[in-house]
Amino acid sequence: MFKKNSKAHAILFALVLSLVCSLLITVAATGFKDRQQENMALDKKVNLLRAAGLVDAGQNPGKDTINTLYDQRIKEVFLDHRGKVMETEDPDGMHLYFVHAQDAGDDHDFNNISGYIVPINTRGLWGKIHGYLAFENDGQTVSGFSVFSHSETPGLGGEIESAWFQKNFKGKKILNSQDEFVSIGIAQGKAGDLPKDKQENYVDGISGATLTGRYLSEGIKNTLMKYEGVSVTFRQKQLRNGS
Amino acid sequence: MQLKSRKEYQGILVNGLWSQNPVAYQVLGICSALAVTVKMSTAIVMALALTAVTACSSMLISSMRKIIPSNIRIIVELAVISTLVIVTDQVLKAYFYDISKQLSIFVGLIITNCIVLGRAESFALANDPIDSFVDGIANGLGYGLILVVVAFIRELLGAGKFLGLQVVPGFLYDLGFQNMGLMVLAPGAFFVIGLLVWLKNSLPGISSQKK
Repeated sequence: MFKKNSKAHAILFALVLSLVCSLLITVAATGFKDRQQENMALDKKVNLLRAAGLVDAGQNPGKDTINTLYDQRIKEVFLDHRGKVMETEDPDGMHLYFVHAQDAGDDHDFNNISGYIVPINTRGLWGKIHGYLAFENDGQTVSGFSVFSHSETPGLGGEIESAWFQKNFKGKKILNSQDEFVSIGIAQGKAGDLPKDKQENYVDGISGATLTGRYLSEGIKNTLMKYEGVSVTFRQKQLRNGS
Repeated sequence: MQLKSRKEYQGILVNGLWSQNPVAYQVLGICSALAVTVKMSTAIVMALALTAVTACSSMLISSMRKIIPSNIRIIVELAVISTLVIVTDQVLKAYFYDISKQLSIFVGLIITNCIVLGRAESFALANDPIDSFVDGIANGLGYGLILVVVAFIRELLGAGKFLGLQVVPGFLYDLGFQNMGLMVLAPGAFFVIGLLVWLKNSLPGISSQKK
């Protein structure tokens, strides 16, 4: 009906093509939305479990196990500035997760807390890094670290999601030998090459990813400073139990 | 549309895989070849994803080649390619979440890979859909071939690993062996790709110099 290179043909073709393309994209984006959100929620849960040490880094035990373990052992809470649990979700509150030593059932017993998980949201080199840093209930020993979303370069900064890097955090401390808060940093190179008194506060770095390491260290420090109140509560409880 | 003889398809395959290899001969797709070749695993997944997209987009564009207005053809090609990539990305996120997380930004970056547009522009617009499909596969695999070779060298020298498994034995490290830090960084890929291009073009026989 039109000549192939007429303007009318070009405009008509462009219109039809845009319509078809946008329809396809809309269908794909809305049609898969539920499944994608389910996948994302599950991914968050498995990473919380990894940070808490309930699932080994790099392992994925499957959907049902993840949901059961999560429901039994992990509880999402919001604390106010005095460290009290708030009833409702509050963006001003401190968002964290309690880890229970055993199946807590529906009734969450707060004496049963074996640790807590702090969400880490920081900038990386190319985009945001979202992860979790878990502590034991002494308020200073790291029990695990996991990353669930980042856009760092695969093979370089992207190594932050690899199992060896995450296992690296286990047992490190956020207090120095004088019991002062120093946070936990990513070393340039091996943590073992640092002076003895610093080794406990550093994890092995990733070669070729100095900047990712620096941003992540900064992000962890800033977050932990905000959560220091919670950590102190746990440390004091530890002192009282110990004495 | 008629199926051609096996020999003709073989010719298309050899062109894409070797004699006109997109990376080593046409020097296309270098950007992603630098970025994803630190490890074998990402290189392989990227190669497969790119092969699928190039084959499908070439076929689609070729089947529309008689009605695509020539003055807006690049825009049309890009629209087709990006739609395909976005839909693929959504499907991966819904059904293969782990793989899609590994690929992260690279799925989106397929759109900007010049090989896809290059094949659409130089081959699909002049050939029938089946030829174009085969050509897409051949070029995707040709790109993949270089990627895997580069990634093999970089992973082995840079991390002492093969597909994530340690292959350089521990006692060598004790004797003073060290991983080559340069290989992990982008310049390492430049050197390796440069050497491969030189090697390929100086090989006798079916090298590109023979016209």
